[in-house]
Amino acid sequence: MSRQPEPIFTANERDILQEVMNIGFGKASADLAEVIDIYVVLSVPEVALLDASELAGYIGGEIRDFERISVVEQSFMGRFQGVALLIFPSEAGRKLISILGQEDEQTALHSVALLERETLMEVGNILIGACVGKLAELLDDQIAYSPPRVLVEDDPRETVTRDMFNPDSTAIVMRTLFSFENENISGYLFLITRNESIAWMVSALHSFMERYE
Amino acid sequence: MGRTLLIVDDSPIARKILIRCLPPDETFRILEAGNGEIALKVYQAERPDITFMDLTMPVVDGFQSIVDIRRFDPEAVIIVATADIQTKTLFRVLDAGALMVLKKPMSREAVKDALEKAEEALKDSERRR
Repeated sequence: MSRQPEPIFTANERDILQEVMNIGFGKASADLAEVIDIYVVLSVPEVALLDASELAGYIGGEIRDFERISVVEQSFMGRFQGVALLIFPSEAGRKLISILGQEDEQTALHSVALLERETLMEVGNILIGACVGKLAELLDDQIAYSPPRVLVEDDPRETVTRDMFNPDSTAIVMRTLFSFENENISGYLFLITRNESIAWMVSALHSFMERYE
Repeated sequence: MGRTLLIVDDSPIARKILIRCLPPDETFRILEAGNGEIALKVYQAERPDITFMDLTMPVVDGFQSIVDIRRFDPEAVIIVATADIQTKTLFRVLDAGALMVLKKPMSREAVKDALEKAEEALKDSERRR
């Protein structure tokens, strides 16, 4: 009789990670609301454990309602390491320019496309930095970031994970859907951790809970 | 037996953390609910003294649940326990009738302070009756 492999995460550990992610994105939305006059409507975050080869299909399925997308991609490196993907429908960049009030002063100097990229990069920097930073703080880690970059894609399924992960590895995917109230903009934040982080993360999640023993 | 607490949160971990942050020298009767719909049913059946309410939940969220519970019991003492720390969120829940907001991740000191404020609110409410 064959033995089932040990699950990498127990249901309890997944619940802890979901709560930590919830706190992380709460901090991120508050930071964004402080910088621009916007109210971020949050959803319940989800945690999924996937083979890296399943990632593109999973994320493509989540964002299937977006015809074209803009992606802010930023890697983070610590004991907690991986990549953050902030994904908007492609028209969000232009709407965000208007919310940030940049269109009048700067459009003359920049092309709209460049301004869109810069705006998305700024929003991505705030949301990803605050969320990943808070997660790292709660799990007692220190993080360095790569510079964010903006990708614009015609086919959402092409976006993800071309060379990000070894296809044989396992990834933890944390997903939050959010929207900006009264602005008709919604997007997804995915945090995808590398295989190498999983053992550390399991231990860090238990340490987090031990504070409440 | 001390006060009855209703803890409303879709995360079992968040409920566990809150229970572990309660003052160890006091006794509470604890009720739990995983969303706002269940919370209203439990509230109507059990009439807890103090309700701790998360906001981001499936089925019926915490914003609506505060309204529903306060409609049933205008004197309900509700402490919002949330990771959503936007200023507008604070105003929204206070406008809806919450007593205060407890920020996640919570500490034992913050929970103790919140319970003291809730106790004052309960005594004020009892004096008015």
